[in-house]
Amino acid sequence: MKSLILATSALALTAGAALADGHAVSKSDVLTNYANIAHAKYEDSLLTARVLGDAVDALIAIPSAENLEAAKEAWLAARVPYQQTEVYRFGNAAVDDWEGKVNAWPLDEGLIDYVGTAYGGPTDENELAALNVIANPTFSLSGAEIDASAITPALLEGTLHEADGVEANVATGYHAIEFLLWGQDNNGTDHGAGDRSWTDYAAGNVCTGGNCDRRGEYLKAATDLLISDLEFMTAEWADGGEARGTVLGDEDAGIVAMLTGMGSLSYGEQAGERMKLGVLLNDPEEEHDCFSDNTHNSHYYDGLGVQNVYLGEYVRVNGELVSGASLADLVSHEDAALDAEMQSKLSTTMLALGRIKTAAEAGFSYDQMLAQGNEAGEALIMGGVNGLVDQTQSIERVVAVLGLDGIEFEGSDSLDNPGSVFE
Amino acid sequence: MRRILKPAVFALMGLLPAGAQADMKTIIENTVQDQILPGYQALHNHAQSLALATASHCAASDPDLRDAWGGMMDAWTRVSHLRFGPSEVDGRAFAIAFWPDPRSKTAKALNQILTDLDPSVGTPEEFAEVSVAARGLYALEFLLYDPAYADQATPEYRCALIRAIANGLVETSAVILGDWEAEYADQMLNPTETGAWRSEEEVFRELFKALSTGLQFTAETRIGRPLGTFDRPRPRRAELRRSDRSRHQVIVALEELSELAALLSADHPEIAARFAAEFEAALGHAANPDDPVFASVDEISGRLKVEILQQSVERLREILVMELGPAMGVGIGFNALDGD
Repeated sequence: MKSLILATSALALTAGAALADGHAVSKSDVLTNYANIAHAKYEDSLLTARVLGDAVDALIAIPSAENLEAAKEAWLAARVPYQQTEVYRFGNAAVDDWEGKVNAWPLDEGLIDYVGTAYGGPTDENELAALNVIANPTFSLSGAEIDASAITPALLEGTLHEADGVEANVATGYHAIEFLLWGQDNNGTDHGAGDRSWTDYAAGNVCTGGNCDRRGEYLKAATDLLISDLEFMTAEWADGGEARGTVLGDEDAGIVAMLTGMGSLSYGEQAGERMKLGVLLNDPEEEHDCFSDNTHNSHYYDGLGVQNVYLGEYVRVNGELVSGASLADLVSHEDAALDAEMQSKLSTTMLALGRIKTAAEAGFSYDQMLAQGNEAGEALIMGGVNGLVDQTQSIERVVAVLGLDGIEFEGSDSLDNPGSVFE
Repeated sequence: MRRILKPAVFALMGLLPAGAQADMKTIIENTVQDQILPGYQALHNHAQSLALATASHCAASDPDLRDAWGGMMDAWTRVSHLRFGPSEVDGRAFAIAFWPDPRSKTAKALNQILTDLDPSVGTPEEFAEVSVAARGLYALEFLLYDPAYADQATPEYRCALIRAIANGLVETSAVILGDWEAEYADQMLNPTETGAWRSEEEVFRELFKALSTGLQFTAETRIGRPLGTFDRPRPRRAELRRSDRSRHQVIVALEELSELAALLSADHPEIAARFAAEFEAALGHAANPDDPVFASVDEISGRLKVEILQQSVERLREILVMELGPAMGVGIGFNALDGD
């Protein structure tokens, strides 16, 4: 698991001080609410993925433009709860070890299906970048012949995913499904998403793109796998689940996990890897949901997830509010000014991410914002980046005020095992 | 509450030297004056030398040009762990150095520019809008050392591109240095409630994170990328392998980080001594002129030596996090390397 090294003496003192004051919320209550919200979010992700599964079944049974659109809509809806779970990744080993199967990105999509000529072939980094398993029932992988005549969840999960140790070989999860529904986005930094025709799933000589039956088989296998992966993670956070047990089992480590998720997602992952790099490279391939042009929503719901953890509340897909004891309660008890600062920074970030979302929904899509020399787009995206970076500094202050600053957040493998230091 | 608790914590650990608060200020002053400001001054000086070299020596294989590039590369490596303040504004650090590049953006961007004979190389303002992957020192390495670029476009165009990159580096290093001199050095030396840092502790934490980031990047990226896994070593992912500098980068980084470690542990002679000994060991492991680009990672004995080097750098980070951190009352916080 990601390293969590605690300055135990500091923590012991902090806990003692908090307990001496009757007004403090207990860490246990905060963690229980955190776990309850995790369960609600993964369960919502599961429920919406099942709706997607039904839509995929309908598309494969009766291929039509309407059924393809319905499947796309189901995918978009499924992303809303899932993106809000991303804040659980860093800090919770159970999630971090698992999420690569579900939300890995970016992908060399030529592994899966046909791509345009501009895509190119195998690269220095990835010999399988243009494998196209849908068109090839057998292929060789690291010297072995692979039988892919049946495209099954086991093939995707066990053989194709991260094949040859290359992370860009993403064979499973939301983004593989996204590619199968939308296809490549060939519009560069112009407006427009992928434009796959429903006939890519059609039977007989109506079929376009070749191997329509195998494409349908792939889509079905990937969707089934997503559903079973989400069933697993929902159970992890249910009563008796291991992820819940880990968080509740050590209160200080649990609070650290919450803050690690907030800080690592805000700074290194979202502000850096996902948003800033895209602007600096002017590269639409750096879009998080590049096939569907749904990136504005991905960023927005990632940010909302961070705010959810601090405020201890989440609105479910049926409108129900899950809420309870929060980090905000813990912090305001120690330092009310810092709590106000933290809440204000989170709100500022959500406003900035909201601007990206509203502009995109009004027709100024995220890939246009990335275009070279597009100052308005750059300002929108950098507004989000700056908000995320700024809130990370306040998260570090929260760590200090809660007496948790002897912690290693995201460390090297050697630091994952503190005992090794004393060998 | 934290202020009340801290002495108690230190008393328990038995690590608080008398007058540590006053010494934190000295540590910050010494680091800013002796390392950060001279580092960015040197970077800018080397950028000017590089631009001057491109003005008279523009052939990719020209030894003077390559020397000037190598000089600036070293100067950058010596500040590359300072991932805060002016270098982080507007993506300036990426515009100087875009690496690692797992999706081959540099090659793609350069190929596009050379194929299109992109006219933006003629105008600094327009060239500043080009993808960072094609604008920095790592892009220059492709142009100076990779034969694949030696005959693309025309010699005149390649020369114009090399000069545009060099002039951009002068500009970027100048604004970073200017911001440090005008504002950031003062903010670090005199933290206030409204500044980037509110207290000496926050400033110290920033420097502490910088050392941690540099060690982590050296272990996981500079050494870790070519190591790959035992079953799948990745020698082609080594940093600056085209110019045979992969191992040299590790040495330059460790030399600079050892100075920063000495500065930050000035109040704790025992920890400083452990740092010094471990840095010496790491630099000893790093010295292997027979394997400049970590090509040996795919054979057993060579790989073992590189793994030993990596472990040595990881031990340095353990000293930082497990010993200096608690002794100074700071935690590691978040850095740009978090995430995937």
